[in-house]
Amino acid sequence: MHDSTKRCTCCVLSENFPKIEFDEKGVCNFCREELYHSTEKSYIDEATRAISEMFEKERGKAEYDAIVCYSGGKDSTLTLKLAVEKYKLKVLSFTLENGFTSPEANKNIERVVAALGIDHITFRPSKKFMRELYKVSSIYEIYNKKTLTRISANCNSCISIVNNTALKYAIEKNIPFILSGFTLGQIPLNAIYYKTNYAFLKESRQSTMDKLTDLLGDDVHKYMGISDRVIEQVKTYPVNINILCLESHTEKEIVDEILPLGWVPPKDVDGCSSNCRLNAFNNYVHETKYGYSPYELELSHLIRKNLLSREEALHKLLDQPMDQIRYAMKDLHIDESQLPRFKVQ
Amino acid sequence: MKTEVLTKESIQESFLEFLCQQFLVEREDIELEKSLVDTGIIDSMGLIEISAYLQREYDIKITEEKMNRNNFGSVIKIVDFVIREKL
Ligand SMILES: [Zn+2]
Repeated sequence: MHDSTKRCTCCVLSENFPKIEFDEKGVCNFCREELYHSTEKSYIDEATRAISEMFEKERGKAEYDAIVCYSGGKDSTLTLKLAVEKYKLKVLSFTLENGFTSPEANKNIERVVAALGIDHITFRPSKKFMRELYKVSSIYEIYNKKTLTRISANCNSCISIVNNTALKYAIEKNIPFILSGFTLGQIPLNAIYYKTNYAFLKESRQSTMDKLTDLLGDDVHKYMGISDRVIEQVKTYPVNINILCLESHTEKEIVDEILPLGWVPPKDVDGCSSNCRLNAFNNYVHETKYGYSPYELELSHLIRKNLLSREEALHKLLDQPMDQIRYAMKDLHIDESQLPRFKVQ
Repeated sequence: MKTEVLTKESIQESFLEFLCQQFLVEREDIELEKSLVDTGIIDSMGLIEISAYLQREYDIKITEEKMNRNNFGSVIKIVDFVIREKL
């Protein structure tokens, strides 16, 4: 395993990561920042209390207590299991089939949902639209710099549709909670649970939506937009909750928890994903455009929490299955020359 | 929580420092009267981060109704909002 990139000696953040500075020992400013470490625990404690209170208050009132965004990956599988078994919620599991889910992940979804005995819905947007969305997200600059430190542009496009679709179902069925499987390396501390002002969110997303509409047409609103009619009608919005942030599991512990549900590790995806066949390509695009991997932040967080060794993290980052990257480029009709290249400043 | 006397200037100064550190931008990237979202400094998750920062830093309660353009539409509006909430 050869790593030619200059990285922090404690975590795996690399020299091209925005605003990174290394001290004389090669340790990055993100690792040195004490504040973060000391506030994390108090945030989690507060969130744990608030979330159990909310569940207590709403449980059993509606047809479903929660809609769970379920990708079939290991994190969202554990989220689903915790929602049902630990928090005793009546859940509706929801999968966005983006057209690139690994066939093995699809079998996992079927087995897990059956094992938990819960209702499930799948939404499959037009493949033509999804291909075009991924293509423009790869080639153009759609999202802001900060967003892209945590996630690749293609994953962010997909997750926008997931969130938007889940919100529509939640509103339609009066479901009080939307659960997702994000962990603390992927989202900010204060997004463990949150409620959004959708009228303002809609305004806030205007420039992104305009960019996408220019490139893809009005279908963007159908998949990623919130209509004024919905905003005007809704009295109370669902609360978004990431219950996995309250747990600390190593990858092995997660897998051990979900194996009894019939979950099998897929072999047809890269080291960072356990469900999507575009992931290797998405990472490749990000590295080509910005000079670092969209997984550096998340993996570094796991290292600092002692949930992953630096070696394991490097192994994941350096796993670049070329066959999957080529498959995606061919499927999306993207040529290497169309990708903007990162230049050292 | 800050204990010193709050002025418009001190709130704005700390807030700009927070923005630069948290959202990987430079001071000169931030236009005080313009929307932080429209200018690409923050995304929707950023609004949640800012709201959490203000609640913690100034001990105010921000419900989702208060997260609107009038209160959160620019740096100036956010600073004014904090002052109003602290009165
Ligand atoms: Zn580091």
